[in-house]
Amino acid sequence: MERRRGLDTRDVTRIVVFAAILAVLGIPGAIPVFGGAVPITAQTLGVMLAGAILGRWRGAAAVTLFLVLVLAGLPLLSGGRGGAGVFVGPSAGFLFGWIAGAFVVGAIVRFGNRPPTWWRTALGCFIGGALVVYAVGIPVQALVTRLPLAKTALSSAAFLPGDLLKVVIAAAVAMALWRAYPRAFGAETAAASRPQAARPKTDAGVR
Amino acid sequence: MYRPGGSVLHRTPAGPKLLTVMALALAISLVPASPWLLAGAIALVIGCYLLTGLGLRELGRQLRDLRWLILVMLVPQALFLSLPTAAVNITRVVVVVLLAALVTLTTRTEDLIDAIAKALGPLRRFGADPDRIALMLSMTITTVPVIAGFAAQVREAQRARGVPVQPLAFVVPLLVMALKHSDDLADALTARGVD
Repeated sequence: MERRRGLDTRDVTRIVVFAAILAVLGIPGAIPVFGGAVPITAQTLGVMLAGAILGRWRGAAAVTLFLVLVLAGLPLLSGGRGGAGVFVGPSAGFLFGWIAGAFVVGAIVRFGNRPPTWWRTALGCFIGGALVVYAVGIPVQALVTRLPLAKTALSSAAFLPGDLLKVVIAAAVAMALWRAYPRAFGAETAAASRPQAARPKTDAGVR
Repeated sequence: MYRPGGSVLHRTPAGPKLLTVMALALAISLVPASPWLLAGAIALVIGCYLLTGLGLRELGRQLRDLRWLILVMLVPQALFLSLPTAAVNITRVVVVVLLAALVTLTTRTEDLIDAIAKALGPLRRFGADPDRIALMLSMTITTVPVIAGFAAQVREAQRARGVPVQPLAFVVPLLVMALKHSDDLADALTARGVD
């Protein structure tokens, strides 16, 4: 199990860096899908990755940190939105849902502190990153806009295809990162079972 | 998003202002709508915008920023509800968001961050460390441009090699660079005796 209270420096900077990654993923066209033809917002992808890579507590902490900066007025949400207004608008529930979502993703992907597997990562990203986010977001939206719950849910279904695509991308990214840089997942898990796949391949990717 | 000024609203301390405005916005949002309440809320919002000294021009700018929100709300509302009901619902949401935006318009981000960190003080007894949280907030602000730089670097590298940029080939190297940077940051903090 993860230690909660004794947050060491490495955890602190990992949470900070992931909050910053969430901000960068909000830049339009940050993730090019189909040659940039589809401008999908990648921030929910970031939420899934935060849970999958950092684990439930640190993942939820990274999302919370990011949202506090949004509340403080930084325009970090996709489309340059931010400020106190988004926390009382129709999509406020989705923002709170991200925190719960990252937690659930982490809890499923790293269940019992086991190394991530393909199917568990995809399942976790789907349940946490899509279902949990909807489960918090849609009722709040119905409450704010006074559109009946079933109809709000129906009009939110438009986001489902994009979110399914993000689940696939998030699972693929998390598994690729697990092979390329297992340290990213935190010392305990990486030490518990390091994948045999070649590590030297890692750095060639970028530099 | 902050607009400098010297009005009463600008001078009100950040914490109480955030709390009051958010409580007011939530109340308007959740109380059953009556025409009087809505008219009062509209008057309140217009009055507050005039009070900031930013005037109706700023209100118009804010409204223009909300045009997509209005459009996205309008379609299902008009489809499923009667037109007057839809108009009332949309007006209420717009009023509430405009009201909350007043905080952002009249308060510097640093002041809000300080207020939020200070508000976490009582959490100390539950094991949270407000100073640590304040440090993390300011570290995140300085880290965003660094990560954005990594993203640009990865994109350039792939363009140079003529690889069509795909999500996987972009996000994985970005994460590796970012998480290595996180370890460097941790070493820097440890070397300076933080923690």
